[in-house]
Amino acid sequence: MTAFQIILMGLLIICAISVSFSKNLLNSVLIYMSFSLVMSLLWICLESPDLAITEAAVGAGITSVLFFVTLKKIHAINVAEKAEEKKDE
Amino acid sequence: METLEWLKIIVGSAFLLCGVVIFFTEIFGVFHFKYVLNRMHAAAMGDTLGITSCLIGLMIFSGFNYTTLKILLIIIFLWFASPVSSHVLSRLEVATNENLSEHCEIYEDLTILEQELACSETAESRKEEQS
Amino acid sequence: MSKKRPSEEYHKTFAYHFFRWLSGEKDPYLGNLEMKPQPEYKTDSALQLRHEKEHDAILDKVYDTEHNKVLKLFHRLYHATSILFCLFLMALLLVTISHLPATGAAQKPVNNEVAGRYIEKGLEETGAVNIVAGMILDYRAFDTLGESHVLFVATITVLILLRLDKNKKGELSSLAKDMNPNDRVYEPKNDAILQLVATFLVPIIIIFGIYIILNGHLGPGGGFSGGAVIGAGLILYLNAFGFQKTERFFTEKTYKWICFFSLSFYCLAKSYSFFTGANHLHSIIPKGTPGAILSGGLILPLNIAVGLVVACTMYAFYAMFRKGGF
Repeated sequence: MTAFQIILMGLLIICAISVSFSKNLLNSVLIYMSFSLVMSLLWICLESPDLAITEAAVGAGITSVLFFVTLKKIHAINVAEKAEEKKDE
Repeated sequence: METLEWLKIIVGSAFLLCGVVIFFTEIFGVFHFKYVLNRMHAAAMGDTLGITSCLIGLMIFSGFNYTTLKILLIIIFLWFASPVSSHVLSRLEVATNENLSEHCEIYEDLTILEQELACSETAESRKEEQS
Repeated sequence: MSKKRPSEEYHKTFAYHFFRWLSGEKDPYLGNLEMKPQPEYKTDSALQLRHEKEHDAILDKVYDTEHNKVLKLFHRLYHATSILFCLFLMALLLVTISHLPATGAAQKPVNNEVAGRYIEKGLEETGAVNIVAGMILDYRAFDTLGESHVLFVATITVLILLRLDKNKKGELSSLAKDMNPNDRVYEPKNDAILQLVATFLVPIIIIFGIYIILNGHLGPGGGFSGGAVIGAGLILYLNAFGFQKTERFFTEKTYKWICFFSLSFYCLAKSYSFFTGANHLHSIIPKGTPGAILSGGLILPLNIAVGLVVACTMYAFYAMFRKGGF
């Protein structure tokens, strides 16, 4: 277990916690996308390139795009910003 | 031939270090600027240039084989794809932002912009002749 | 094509009467029952008002959910039954798990001789240099068949939830238009830069995806990742050029036929052992030399089938989210 892998795993834990505790839905989806990317790097460190390619293509690509489109459909993209504006007024 | 090896290592590391410095500058810019278009500018240029420097450093490390050719193809692909995606995002931002006039000047008619640019060019040329 | 029959002739045939009876248009009493001439129906406004008031009072009583005793009892019983059912299910599953072999026992598939045999004899029995591809498409090909079907079922579910039906003229119904306002108003359409770069990049992406699929048994990759890359290329094409141009080559028919042929090919190739016994027949396709592209027996065609299904699924999801159909 090299230092590089330990740093990546720490980043993984930070990403996972901040996905749950973030107030803006758009931020959560972006952090989930970076979680997939870090996971893809870890798969390479564990010597399974099949999983690395699939995780990068599917996780950081397709599922994140589908999440964004879902947020657009339910009009939840600007939710937190509108709440902040109302608090300022 | 040892000097060649040393030269490869030094030049490759220099490119990699350059790339890392560019990425740091870009991230600092993205968190520092207030307006979306400024952040977009920093992110787009920093991304493309930084990844190119890192990959050129890796090409030098790898030597002269097929891996280098594949990395070159990746650099060409990223040079096409990354600026275009930033362009599309900026265009969307300009189209949907309601308070755009606070952030930058909007010219409804292009002739006004051309006149302003012509005036500023003549003023600069006059200053150069005087000094 | 034959000429259309004049309607008087058609009204005398058996088929016309049968279909009218089947769809409920035929009035069973017309022409069969004798009725005396009835007085005309006069609308009485006082009577109508009384009817409306009674109707409203009945509706108020019927939909009064707060003071309804039967409904309250039902709610309490429902909560109690749901808790009991969950506890019962948990107990059942835990008892089942307790019958499995303990961790570290010699017969578990994790610890026994199966993994060693796959690694030692993988190359000579399957012909694939990439042991992972040989595993998922030769030793355990049936599981991968299930996975492809899961992708197909997922697409059908999304189709049920998100599809906007059009009537025969090709227009959306007015209810659908109200519920789904167009959310693509602000997107940059016909962006010249994007279109120019997409004409250059989309073929490259699709070729790269095909390269990953074809080299699934020689190196990392395979059907799933290659299919995802091809799907991403199709999504880029859709975003750059719009729906009209994409419908020239990818319609619902294309999706249906591609998925049908890929999945049935996979089924026919790998599930005949249900009928012939657990030992597969010897493979007709030769295994070839390991390291060449045309090696590995059936692995290459199965990779192509899986890749096609995955690519169509990715594009289908995106198109259904954006437009409500393809």
